[in-house]
Amino acid sequence: MTDVLIVGAGPAGLSAAATCARHGLSVRVVDEFMKPGGRLLGQLHEEPDGTWWNGIEEARRLYEQAVGLGASVACGVSVYDAARGEEGWVVSTTEGILEAPVLLLATGAAETALPLPGWTIPGVMSIGAAQVMTNVHRVRVGERGVIIGVNILAVAIARELQLAGIHVDRMVLPPRNPVTQEAASPYHVMQSLLRVAHLAPSAFIRYGSRLVKSDPLLRLAVRCYPAGGVKMWRMPIHLRTAAVEILGTSKVEGVRLARVSPDGEPLPGTEHDIPADFVCIAGGLHPLAELAAVAGCPFAYLPELGGHVPLHNERMETPLAGLYVAGNITGIESAKVAMAQGAVAGLAIAEHLGRLRDRTALADAIAHVKRVRRSATIQFHPEIGRGRADVERMFQEQGISGK
Amino acid sequence: MDQGNIVICRCEEVTLKELIAAAETYRCSARELKLRTRAGMGCCGGRTCRRFIDMVARQATGEAPSHGIPLGYQPPVRPVAFGQLGGVIG
Ligand SMILES: Cc1cc2nc3c(=O)[nH]c(=O)nc-3n(C[C@H](O)[C@H](O)[C@H](O)COP(=O)(O)OP(=O)(O)OC[C@H]3O[C@@H](n4cnc5c(N)ncnc54)[C@H](O)[C@@H]3O)c2cc1C
Repeated sequence: MTDVLIVGAGPAGLSAAATCARHGLSVRVVDEFMKPGGRLLGQLHEEPDGTWWNGIEEARRLYEQAVGLGASVACGVSVYDAARGEEGWVVSTTEGILEAPVLLLATGAAETALPLPGWTIPGVMSIGAAQVMTNVHRVRVGERGVIIGVNILAVAIARELQLAGIHVDRMVLPPRNPVTQEAASPYHVMQSLLRVAHLAPSAFIRYGSRLVKSDPLLRLAVRCYPAGGVKMWRMPIHLRTAAVEILGTSKVEGVRLARVSPDGEPLPGTEHDIPADFVCIAGGLHPLAELAAVAGCPFAYLPELGGHVPLHNERMETPLAGLYVAGNITGIESAKVAMAQGAVAGLAIAEHLGRLRDRTALADAIAHVKRVRRSATIQFHPEIGRGRADVERMFQEQGISGK
Repeated sequence: MDQGNIVICRCEEVTLKELIAAAETYRCSARELKLRTRAGMGCCGGRTCRRFIDMVARQATGEAPSHGIPLGYQPPVRPVAFGQLGGVIG
């Protein structure tokens, strides 16, 4: 019999699996991707201290640890429903129905698109798809690419494409329309980029970012932003140029650009076309929480966490008995935070099933998540701590039902 | 090209213009907008377009996002073949 069923073999799911197995629980992990590791598989970046974060190595380590402790991990299996039964959770998968008293959802994050004319032409892909093709499948996505959407994820992945020898011509804003909103506003994009400027490879950018902490200076910086963009790793990042249309008939042939006002309004007469054979759309990430929704879990809307997240407490419990969450489904953060949250979920589950002897371990693991969060190099939202406090408060107010 | 001609829901081929027209005529919820236009009702279950349907509905009604999920999820949350429905793994 399975004690714990885990959906998602990313850093959160795998570290929870190892923790549960270490406490003598029978653990089954399912993931729809063909390899374990989740989003770790695409990650390769240099930390500010000069060491490299190699996601493929991390994924292998976590997988071997979980399996070595006795967890079973099945890939290529999609979960399409989860419901509470008489005895526990009944989970529908493409390989049949699985049942377990405890269900942990560690399904990670999904990408947000930025619709613009031509975005359905072959050769247009999400930035995450380009990352997976490059780093997981080792397939060259094209010869000359344009990234539409400027944010931390786009910058990190553009660097990975460069390291793989793929030419990324430039990074530009999406056009302003009712569904792109803040992603098309030079002011908002500049503001969010400044939060991560301490990671920039150029001393010039790091220095400049300190100058524009005040709002009037920020507005001035947007007004005076260089027409040729600011280069990061030799790749121009444009905040006053938007892609107004992707060109091509049966495949991407180019991108139509226009200069935009500080509010993102295209300036008449500035349109010009550039060649490209692939386009990446980078609209950011949001928690992938569809299974929590069909399971009947209440939600909280917290922009700091990336949008709607299943209600949960710092022990990773949801208000539904036996339903746990960990990793990016609870809010968009780096892989290291996801791993630390997985360990907390594993310990909380072990306690719930009467297998935790050392009670201090759980409190220590919760404190560890906060430490990892504070020292994270990749931060998707500067107010993440406030979002975490809000969800905890909302959970306490609503209480745990059915327990 | 006019931004209104952007295809928002690829499965059902619904454009931004069609969504905005329906939202402005009926000043309705995201759910009603989905039912009126079929946006988000295709085989993928609205994986990409659901948030845009919600954005267009909110812009027409002026409502702020709430804690509830605007467009509910129904199983199956992945496309599945009829042959896969049912059966227990031992
Ligand atoms: C495109 C992209 C790039 C990223 N790049 C970085 C980066 O460079 N650095 C960084 O620190 N963070 C990055 N992140 C954030 C990333 O989400 C975290 O680093 C970390 O991987 C989150 O771990 P997780 O275990 O919560 O989820 P994930 O690693 O996303 O793992 C979730 C797993 O659940 C599986 N799954 C989801 N739904 C189902 C289902 N219904 N049935 C079966 N399996 C399912 C998925 O296949 C996936 O393998 C990126 C995220 C994305 C989406």
